[in-house]
Amino acid sequence: MSTTAPATATAGAPALRRRTRVPLAPYLFLTPGLVLFALFLVVPIGYAVWLSLRGLRISGGGPFGRREEVFVGFENYAAALTSADFLSGFGRLAVYGAIAVPLTLGLALLFALLLDATTTAAKRFSRTAIFIPYAVPGVIASLLWGFLYLPTTSPVSHVTEALGWGSVPFLSGAALFGSVANIAIWGGVGFNMIIIYTSLRGIPSEVQEAARIDGASETQVALRIKVPLVAPALVLTGLFSLIGTLQVYGEPTTLRPMTTSITQTWVPLMTIYRDAFTRDDLPLAAAASVLLALGTLVVSVVLLRLAQRRAFGDAA
Amino acid sequence: MRRRTLATAAAAGLVLALGACSSGGGDSAGADGGGDGPITLEYWAWGTAQDGMVEAWNAAHPDVQVEKTDAGGSTDSSAKLLTATRAENAPDVAVVQYDTLPAMIVGGVAADIGEHTADVEGEFNPGVWSQVEFDGAVYGVPQDVGPQAMVYNQARFAELGIPVPTTWAEFATVAEQVKQKDPASTLATFAPAEFGGFAAMAQQNGAQWWSVDGDAWTVSIDDEPSRQVAQYWQDLVDRDVIDAEPLLTPEWNAKLAAGKVLSWPSALWANGVINGVVPEQAGQWALAPIPAWQAGQSAVSFQGGSAVVVTTSSEHPEEAAEFAKWINTSKEGSAAQIEAGQYPASLVGQELTLSSAPPVQSPQQADYWQVAQRIASSTVPEVSWGPNVNVANSAFQDAFNAAVTDGTPFTEALATVQEAVVADMEKSGFTVSAG
Amino acid sequence: MSAVGTPVGTRPAIGAPAARRPRQRARVLPTAVLLVGALYCLVPVAWVLVASTKSRGELFSTFTFAPGTGLLDNLGDLFAYGDGAFLLWCANSLLYAGVGAVLSTLVSAMSGYALAKFRFPGRDAIFYAVLGGVLLPGITLAIPQYLLMSKLGLMGSHWSVLLPSIISPFGIYLSRVYAAAAVPEEVVEAARIDGASEWRTFTAVAVPMLLPGMVTVFMLQFVGIWNNFLLPFVMLSDEHRYPLTVGLYSLLAKGSGEPALYSLAIVGAAVSILPLIALLLFLQRFWRMDLISGGLKG
Repeated sequence: MSTTAPATATAGAPALRRRTRVPLAPYLFLTPGLVLFALFLVVPIGYAVWLSLRGLRISGGGPFGRREEVFVGFENYAAALTSADFLSGFGRLAVYGAIAVPLTLGLALLFALLLDATTTAAKRFSRTAIFIPYAVPGVIASLLWGFLYLPTTSPVSHVTEALGWGSVPFLSGAALFGSVANIAIWGGVGFNMIIIYTSLRGIPSEVQEAARIDGASETQVALRIKVPLVAPALVLTGLFSLIGTLQVYGEPTTLRPMTTSITQTWVPLMTIYRDAFTRDDLPLAAAASVLLALGTLVVSVVLLRLAQRRAFGDAA
Repeated sequence: MRRRTLATAAAAGLVLALGACSSGGGDSAGADGGGDGPITLEYWAWGTAQDGMVEAWNAAHPDVQVEKTDAGGSTDSSAKLLTATRAENAPDVAVVQYDTLPAMIVGGVAADIGEHTADVEGEFNPGVWSQVEFDGAVYGVPQDVGPQAMVYNQARFAELGIPVPTTWAEFATVAEQVKQKDPASTLATFAPAEFGGFAAMAQQNGAQWWSVDGDAWTVSIDDEPSRQVAQYWQDLVDRDVIDAEPLLTPEWNAKLAAGKVLSWPSALWANGVINGVVPEQAGQWALAPIPAWQAGQSAVSFQGGSAVVVTTSSEHPEEAAEFAKWINTSKEGSAAQIEAGQYPASLVGQELTLSSAPPVQSPQQADYWQVAQRIASSTVPEVSWGPNVNVANSAFQDAFNAAVTDGTPFTEALATVQEAVVADMEKSGFTVSAG
Repeated sequence: MSAVGTPVGTRPAIGAPAARRPRQRARVLPTAVLLVGALYCLVPVAWVLVASTKSRGELFSTFTFAPGTGLLDNLGDLFAYGDGAFLLWCANSLLYAGVGAVLSTLVSAMSGYALAKFRFPGRDAIFYAVLGGVLLPGITLAIPQYLLMSKLGLMGSHWSVLLPSIISPFGIYLSRVYAAAAVPEEVVEAARIDGASEWRTFTAVAVPMLLPGMVTVFMLQFVGIWNNFLLPFVMLSDEHRYPLTVGLYSLLAKGSGEPALYSLAIVGAAVSILPLIALLLFLQRFWRMDLISGGLKG
């Protein structure tokens, strides 16, 4: 992926139909993008791969020998793949994702359909209100939800305690997954809602009218006509939510000091961060990063393939 | 270097274009200095005491100016020091907590400044000096110390009519009394993630977690004294006499504000922390020695406290060492430190506290600094930390949090930490034997 | 049929009322569900605003939603903290997000236009590489990017945050989709026949047509950079260069002997999210979010 133009044309000879010369202009247009892409994506990836094959080992002997970088082959990959901390993080990730992804998408779709329906009021206010959390950085969102979760400062626990039911343990046990996922749902519903909503507005009104004349209720129109037509938007928002899930890091990290239930290896990225910065083991972190990136790529491609076959089987 | 200067200049230009005043900045000034003119040293430090100390130095030393940068608290700052050293752009001088100093040595951050420090060694108690001297080399100048101590809500103690415990056995009895008299309150909380506090209590009981024997390290985190400490807290938590929960969270702060947390066994710096959380309780809090494991025993260990190191990246190690010595042993430096509520590591600084007024949270305790000095003058003879305290700390937090959450024995958590620490050291190539 | 392939203007933009349909009377249940959703999203924001009025003591001692008496003191403390560090963080966030998003939008538009409107060897390879970049967890790049920046001697400078923020595979991808749909082949061809240079064709003919898409890319990038935490956290060690996210975090993560400054962080959060909300409300009149969903097949 260097900046010089790939010299050989691919099998697609028709690409050259208009001109016999290879045009210069597109490469010039692409130069800034490609240079930055190479510098900040390709080179770092290459560096991470190289680093993942190295290790920091003591040289010179003695209790205070200095650590030096040496080549260790696939040792770091073996360590990451056999690390109970790293692997169990994926289990927690799965639980978290099973809550966060469907709820984010489901609520986003529900609100989008309600915004598009003819039977609701207060649309402008609701649309704006639901979109607002998108503007709140994750670090801040976690801090403020933390206050709303902890028994003494939580308004929910305030009410339940007044009723004699005791406080709600938002940050322990199984509730923890819901509480962490809730922060992501809260921040993500509005953005996904807008994407789906704009898709809904692209549906020609004649199609809906025809159904209504046939006697379909508003709910039936929504489920039978609108939802299938916005399937591409759902696939895409689903994919983003899934990638977002694999990258979850900020929310549990900010909540961690407030509870005994979140370990430093709660999700894979937290393990990577701990290894890189708390334990100063960059090579191990690089190996785990490479594995996580590959995993994301595989999951995304598989999901897109499945979705394409289902949603666009006839159209493509 | 030229490229970097250009970049810095351009970046500064961008900021100015936006109308922001780019104060400080100029991280390359020190590296590029060289020739004539004043030298600029870059100094990484956190906490409220630093500005006053740096100002005092800059006023007294026009030829060597110091620029302070807050690179985050202890954990963030030391992580960044390691990576910055690898990237060859570490500052000249930096504050490092005692327990992370060994990691800074093997990480190549801290330089041996033994040739410059002979004249200040006598300014410190031997127990304090031993925190910066390893294998005959000196890697820093002590700045502040955190001998363990207990702060307590004097008003609430008086209200409930309970005594200030002097031994841990008494502490347990008083904790029971608190629960009987006011079930909503607790004498103190056990914070499972407080590695430093637990380590200090274990050391107070005689534990030695890392030690060096020739070329080999011995790691004994789950030794008998440590297990006793673990069992002691386990018993209080199991009997619901003490709550196990994290410290300084909004939750804990709210309990403190409501007067439901009666004491905090921690260290000499606790006064300022309590003031940061509940300033309206000034005048209610007092300082006492931390309870002892045996009656009559007075030696306490350290929790927190830090030294100033000169980095291997510094191009002006001599001036940097001079700065580290001066701010930590001069009257000017100590005065600025005390004013901000830090307890100085140097004898001259500790002497100076005696003529100071009690700190803001305890104006009613006239003998506050006398009590502090008595505590500081009797510390355990030698505490040595290992090269991977960071690993121990992170393993400790996870293991003890899990033990509290799952109700598994604390002693098992200690064994987990021991295992993780030994495995990590062996992986790095150290010679290790489990103690 | 659907918006796919024709993202431009079959229906009014989302700001306009949907007047074309026969209007039915609003019903209680759907409206109530929508309002509950709005409430769920607003409550935590309302809490930040309420909590920012509480003094340090009140923050932990009064009922969660009871307003306090310390707003002015908190604001005073906030702007006085670290010799005006908060304002500097605001300026830095504006620098990173503003300049970064503008440059990112330009780079994305040029790249997307080239990928959509030219046929040249290597086009598909480049496009698939960009797609791969979209799927890559950006966070896993932070560490190698850090080491790279140190090699370039830019570590800790404004550049170390700004430069990686400019490249956005997703922005390029969106721009390509939008350019393919919004810039008709004939218009470009006509400009070429008139003798306009490729650059002139782009700036005078294509850019005006691309503008709604560019606003969308700008907004996504602006919010993305503004809210980014890990990249600046890893790259920067000088608090004078922190953006708001890292600055506010640094108020919370103090070492032993320094309590977390909750009340400062909360009032800082309140002050910093208000302008961003205003910006979003302003921009939502112009953006084209259907671009994102319409793009899958584009």
